[in-house]
Amino acid sequence: MRAAKPTRGLLGALGLTGAIITGCGDSGGDDQATSADTTSDSGSGSSDESAGTDTETETDTGTETGDELCPSQGVDLDSPPPQLLSELCLVRWTGDQLEYEDNVFAYDLNTVLFSDFALKDRAIYIPPGETASYVDNGVIDFPVGTVILKSFMFPADMREPELDIDLIETRLLIRYPNEWKGYPYIWDHELGDAVLTVQGEVRPIDFIGPDGIERTATYLVPQKNQCLECHEVKDELDETVVVPIGPRPRYLNRESHVVPGTNQMTVFTDAGWLTGVPAIDELPKAWDHRSLANTPVDQMDYATITTAARDYLDINCSYCHNPRGVNGISSQLFLNWDNEDLFHLGYCKKPGSAGKGGENREFDIVPGDAEASILVYRTETLDLGSMMPLIGRSLAHEDGTELLRAWIDGLPPDDCQEPPEP
Amino acid sequence: MTYRIDSLSTATRTLLLALPLAFPLYGCGDDTPADSAETNADTTGDGDGDGDGDGDGDGDGDGDGDSDTAPDPDFPLCSCDQFEGACVEVSADDEEGLQIAANSLEDDTTLVLGLGTFELDNQVTIRANGITVCGQGMGVEGSFDSGTSLDFASQATQSNGLDVVGDNFRVMDLAIVDAKKDGLRIEDSDGVTIQRVRATWRLEGDSSNGSYGLYPVKVSHVLIEDSAAYNSSDAGIYVGQCQHAIVRNNIAKQNVAGIEIENTQFADVYGNLAEDNTGGLLIFDLPGNPVIGRDIHIHDNMVINNNRPNFAPGGTVKAIPAGTGTFAMASRRVEINNNTYANNGTSDVAILSGLVIEGDPEAWALSMAELVGDNTGLELPTNGDTVYSYRTNNIYIHDNNHSGSGTNPYLSTMDQEFGLLLAIVYGQDLPIDQILYDTVEESSFSPSDAMMNSNDNHICIGTNAGGSFASINIEPLSMNGGTVDDLFRPEAPYAPFNCNDLTGGPIIAPDME
Repeated sequence: MRAAKPTRGLLGALGLTGAIITGCGDSGGDDQATSADTTSDSGSGSSDESAGTDTETETDTGTETGDELCPSQGVDLDSPPPQLLSELCLVRWTGDQLEYEDNVFAYDLNTVLFSDFALKDRAIYIPPGETASYVDNGVIDFPVGTVILKSFMFPADMREPELDIDLIETRLLIRYPNEWKGYPYIWDHELGDAVLTVQGEVRPIDFIGPDGIERTATYLVPQKNQCLECHEVKDELDETVVVPIGPRPRYLNRESHVVPGTNQMTVFTDAGWLTGVPAIDELPKAWDHRSLANTPVDQMDYATITTAARDYLDINCSYCHNPRGVNGISSQLFLNWDNEDLFHLGYCKKPGSAGKGGENREFDIVPGDAEASILVYRTETLDLGSMMPLIGRSLAHEDGTELLRAWIDGLPPDDCQEPPEP
Repeated sequence: MTYRIDSLSTATRTLLLALPLAFPLYGCGDDTPADSAETNADTTGDGDGDGDGDGDGDGDGDGDGDSDTAPDPDFPLCSCDQFEGACVEVSADDEEGLQIAANSLEDDTTLVLGLGTFELDNQVTIRANGITVCGQGMGVEGSFDSGTSLDFASQATQSNGLDVVGDNFRVMDLAIVDAKKDGLRIEDSDGVTIQRVRATWRLEGDSSNGSYGLYPVKVSHVLIEDSAAYNSSDAGIYVGQCQHAIVRNNIAKQNVAGIEIENTQFADVYGNLAEDNTGGLLIFDLPGNPVIGRDIHIHDNMVINNNRPNFAPGGTVKAIPAGTGTFAMASRRVEINNNTYANNGTSDVAILSGLVIEGDPEAWALSMAELVGDNTGLELPTNGDTVYSYRTNNIYIHDNNHSGSGTNPYLSTMDQEFGLLLAIVYGQDLPIDQILYDTVEESSFSPSDAMMNSNDNHICIGTNAGGSFASINIEPLSMNGGTVDDLFRPEAPYAPFNCNDLTGGPIIAPDME
């Protein structure tokens, strides 16, 4: 897992990401072999090319090029977002990697949303001089002007994640004075830039999966308004607000791929923009899904399976399925990692208005019986109209659903026929 | 008033015909001379075009209404001329233009969709307040290319048809076809008007059709009128978790559930036709939902021939027996009167406790703190700070007209236990009584002695022409079986169910302001 040790740039990130995805692709010995391959690939591939260049050159490039092409960095909060991503002076695509400008901080998450196997590159732009505040068990409180960038890309072959990469889109989440807003930019590789595309796009994408199997994703670049389907919650005043999902301490609490050996939270603190971070060993930490590469589900102990499954549900489902989730509250199924109410977690719970999603199953979760659980059906099926998550998945994520199955099958069995003891 | 089938559909047609009249009347103040010059030619073209078909092709609409307006052939019914403020017109061949417009809408903008079909691979998503969307007619069922159609047959993503969150939203005169999930979904909004919108799926009785046709959920102040829903694999018109709703003069056909009023407070439902569904018009609460349904008035509807085999792929709706007219389940303060029920093979009106579908009271538990809406005056079971929403009480059923129902209860499968139970109990002693009450939570029941029957839940059965009443002691009956001799089948006036009011006063009408 130290594939990208010497690197700072994207290749390093991809090496890591590739290892994750490889881990997620399938179970068993292949994983470890593939993971090892990836490691050596990215180790040899990336360290040579970008190790020396990135740390130093990136700064130079940022200033030199920036002076010429980027008179100002970041978002003009009084104007509509630019048509071209380059106008924000945050990121460039070299043809095989993303290069971030100054004040843009790349990061990873411990557990990630599955998006049809897309590799993702994440970064945060903090306006110089501004600071963000640590929030315990919540999203970091970012300053106005913050831009969160999330780029989605498909290598032709996930087993060689740093080669032949098709960068599809970069989504921005921008912190305006009163709200966050999301914007999709689709990369036009002839233009060499990403173009604001509020209407989104549905695009078939062929690739070879981490398990060597050819797949075709019906990949969705969400419409601008579809960003809200996942990013909306009710605040304390019961107003609907847009929020980021990933940048929470428990997901950020991991080693940085930019500054190897250093925790990301420390990197952000040292960079001067993140304040109030407790001692690292006191930080909450979600399950690191990269561990799947070395320890597939069938070799995990049940306590780890439970943690992993709950964090997988948290990041993949609970942005809607939480008591404040605008699009999930009517289900009354709350999959946030800290929900301790077993009924709302789905145990022997009949769905609300599940529509066709229930198949012939009766309960969201039948403890001890994954095959009888609606949650498993909906996360595995490819039936349009029954799939969960609602958007962003057109393929099955076998590693994820295997985890969910292992968790549910390992719960104390309950056939859900008898009312619980009072 | 009582409709005949023919007269209702005629009435609806008439409404459609009147549209071109109505719009210019309120919409168009100033027309440019250039517009007027175009009028004649366009009117001719309009009449020829099969786009709107019944809607505005005929002389009625064009003659008066269009004489001083300027219909573009692509926008014969609705155009930006009729609206003040920001307005965008999109032609039907410009799908990308529609998606760009929808995702760029500022508050208080009108989005006008041209005559023809938009073939869409993703939902149309609206997230702004004060939006009006209008098309050029909802067309007639069986036709998928008349008026303005949003056609999602080639939808490659899992999404709805028209998906809206926004206050003061109005949509009218368009059809939504073959959406993968819900046709029209409007969520978490205040002030919604749906007029002359048709949600439909091409295939009849197909369990892979989308779930809900017209679906306002968690909406306050919603009007659905002169609209239609066909072939949904769950509910055609589904008013869910709403407060203050009017549902009138709509058509729901060939759905599993025609019209559902679910976990909704203050709804007036009248003038609708629910025909050829599995279940016609249903009122219920689902367990665990924080909006406790109340004050539902169902009157002057036609609920007929709802015998369609249940083709739901699963879920609660799968439990609806074919041949169901109306359920009132886990409901309170419901008045059902002056409706026409005919030829529903199992039962016209069934009054059921929520415990019939979910026997665990704890599944119906809600904390006082999480309740939404107005719950004053409701008689709900409580335990400390916990409220339970399974009980059905305070129901008044009167002056309905019944004919031909209860004679074919054999369409239920194992998924529809209540239908099976009725088929077994009534055996050859058909028809099944048109109005049924399950007596769950009643303190006493006797099949033979009226005095031995309690009416703790205040169920009031008035005079219903052609309709008889029976109460069913459902728990022992479902455990042990039985015959009609085990039912309480009184003659009118059905004491002790002969009350004629609702506890706490008449139904409170929706407040649409």
